[in-house]
Amino acid sequence: MNIVNRYRNPIFTLLLLLIVAALMFNGMSASTATSIVLSGVTLAALYFLVASGVSLIFGLMDVLNFAHGSLFMFGAYAGWTFYTNPRLIFNSAPLLLLFAAGLLLNPLTARFVALPRWMRWLAGLAALALALVAARGFPIDRLVAMGMTMTGKVIPTELAQEPIETMLLRCGWALLAGIVLSAAVAARSVEHIQESARRTLGMVIGLTILGLAILLARNVAEQFILQTENNWRFLMAIAVGAGTGGILGALMEWSLIRPLYSRPIYQILLTLGLTFVFDQVVRFIWGPAGAFMEIPSWFSTQGKECPSPDLFAWFSQHCDSIAFFGRPFPSYRLFIILAGVVMLVGIGLLLQRTRLGMIIRAGVQDSEMVEALGINVRRIFTLVFAIGAGLAGLGGVVAAPFLGVYPGMAPEFLLQAFIVIVIGGLGSIPGAAVGALLVGLARAYGDHIVLAGIQLPGMSEAISGSPAIARASTVLIMAIVLFIKPTGIFGKKE
Amino acid sequence: MLKRHLPYLALLLALIGLPYALSLVTGEPLNKGIPLFVQGLMVQVFILAVFALSYDILMGHIGILSFGHALFFGSGAYTLGILVKYGQWSLPAAIAAVIVIAALESFVIGVLSLRVHGVYFAMVTLAFATVAFILVEATDFKQWTGAEDGLHGIPLPDAINPTIHRTEFYFLALAFAVAVFLFVRLCVDSPSGRVWAAIRENEARATSIGYNTLVFKVQATIVSGVLAALAGALNAMWNLSATPLTMDVSTTINALLMAIIGGSGTLIGPMLGAGVLQLLGYLLNLWLGSVWQLVFGLIYILLVLFVPYGIVGTWRARGVPWRAAWRERLRQWTGRSKVS
Repeated sequence: MNIVNRYRNPIFTLLLLLIVAALMFNGMSASTATSIVLSGVTLAALYFLVASGVSLIFGLMDVLNFAHGSLFMFGAYAGWTFYTNPRLIFNSAPLLLLFAAGLLLNPLTARFVALPRWMRWLAGLAALALALVAARGFPIDRLVAMGMTMTGKVIPTELAQEPIETMLLRCGWALLAGIVLSAAVAARSVEHIQESARRTLGMVIGLTILGLAILLARNVAEQFILQTENNWRFLMAIAVGAGTGGILGALMEWSLIRPLYSRPIYQILLTLGLTFVFDQVVRFIWGPAGAFMEIPSWFSTQGKECPSPDLFAWFSQHCDSIAFFGRPFPSYRLFIILAGVVMLVGIGLLLQRTRLGMIIRAGVQDSEMVEALGINVRRIFTLVFAIGAGLAGLGGVVAAPFLGVYPGMAPEFLLQAFIVIVIGGLGSIPGAAVGALLVGLARAYGDHIVLAGIQLPGMSEAISGSPAIARASTVLIMAIVLFIKPTGIFGKKE
Repeated sequence: MLKRHLPYLALLLALIGLPYALSLVTGEPLNKGIPLFVQGLMVQVFILAVFALSYDILMGHIGILSFGHALFFGSGAYTLGILVKYGQWSLPAAIAAVIVIAALESFVIGVLSLRVHGVYFAMVTLAFATVAFILVEATDFKQWTGAEDGLHGIPLPDAINPTIHRTEFYFLALAFAVAVFLFVRLCVDSPSGRVWAAIRENEARATSIGYNTLVFKVQATIVSGVLAALAGALNAMWNLSATPLTMDVSTTINALLMAIIGGSGTLIGPMLGAGVLQLLGYLLNLWLGSVWQLVFGLIYILLVLFVPYGIVGTWRARGVPWRAAWRERLRQWTGRSKVS
């Protein structure tokens, strides 16, 4: 009885859903129903990847990250760039790394330079000026010119890239900008001054060497990546997307969110502003038009025996689609589902079975207490932010061959993630999974309905609509949940 | 008494005199050249000032953070446009309809969304607004909303058509802004307004005194929604069109930005913020071209980080030692924004 009481809401929801599902699929053929369910679960996997990060971050540090959709988008763009034309990455990474190296000198500069307030503003401006010098005339449009999928459009590497001397000069400016900025923010890191100088120096030198190594190896690395078989390249791209998301998230937390823990309202004002900045940055670098990403050959082989009759046959054939009840279903989407499930299991294991997960769960309960026990909660915060953002970035790359990359994916996925979270309950990972499943299925069903049209009794013609209607209709579920149980299915009582 | 109101009166007089002064200085007539252009710029400032003020009723006076305010602005614009263009309604009737529809909308959204607190509310309102944005862009309603192109060519009576009678429209917009300012002041100073402030400072305490805070929050949402819709309607009259951009999240961010630049919770602050933002945006656009939006976003982030109380808030804190004043306001903000 106790168990029933404890899980009353989820059980109740499940029963309700079964009834709704029975009504929805009533009179539909098995093949149609399967394809709707599979499409729904595909979308659910993507929604889960975004929503779980938002939920995790909110659960631990009470920050609602409005920029999460943007991290998803940025991850997608990074992965896609790596997959089709990694030139941009190899040419910009050294600059960013050296800038970071300069910034990391912070504990050392803080030891020698203690600037008064107005001087710090000046130093900040000087750093900005130096960064602008470093970036002046950087040929972004040539570096991003895509050619892999559209032959004839690619610019030869030698023409697109700047000569190594110019790049070295840029690197120098970037390093200088980082150092000046580190002086500007020096006072903020009083607690870090105690850290050992050797460790700082080690990190700075390491980053510098890494940056220069990437710069020197840029041609070889590009050749190597482009010659890798596209499946492995795709897996690498996923890692790159997740890494980009994670690093961006950690940076965001460290530089922008952390100073504002005492002003929670301003935190979300800030993340909302970041969505805008990310959107503009993506438009600035890659242009406002979107692009398609090719599906790796494991999921796109076409042949006589395609579509594969079942999942096992697919393992040997790698067809682009698999037949379920006689209707082909794109096999790549099964990969998306797999990615979602793996991540769900992964987060579950991380939270329930590791020491880090234990600290995170304790932090969700009472972060002050955890801090009192001698655990550096701030570091855990940054780490969790990075994990959440990394999940979003990974989701972005996984979504790219399915949906393409375009600036509009940020608000789109942010919206769906929010709906998912409101339904599932903020701060709950099972809630995010169930919410994602609900929204995904509703979305797929909605898509089916608006395309096939719906005929209500007493109407002569079926009404059909555009996919936009299906996109918008998921908000109805949110409204219903808000009306019945504002904290969501798995939410705690306020 | 007079001393307190003097700056406001001076500002009003300056705005009334602005077109004539410009005309005198440049030697051009009111409806040509620079005077015409500046009037156009100022009309937009007035419209956005009202929008920012309506936003700040929620953020600065009752302490609710809404990220869906563009929904009301856009719905005002589209309601007016559709009714006047396709419904052949007269302008006053359409405006009345704008008010009624906005009130209903904000009532429904308020009642639904205010069941949750703090950041949840921001999230839920953003979801509603995004859906509204998707719907106006949907091709299904193209014959009314014009989908992505927006609704163009709203017929207005000649007497207030901004392309023909710019100066008249200028004064109309100015009068509207002044009227809304006075109205919001009245609201904030009314007994209900006092309860709003109490809710902002400490909602739990307001509840325990015996106020039904939900009623007051819905009330504030409705006032704010209707004013935003009116601003949107005026915007549609000014542009003779209603575009999906009016529903976009960036419109909400704009309102937020204006409120923060000017100083949230200070009444005149958001309106000044609208002026600063609009003029700054115009200049940045001239200098930087299309990158200006990026620069804008960065400025926004810097403001949130370093100047959270805006022009008016910082100015009012000038007598008090800086840090003490900031700490005091910080305490207020954090005290009331605890997520329950």
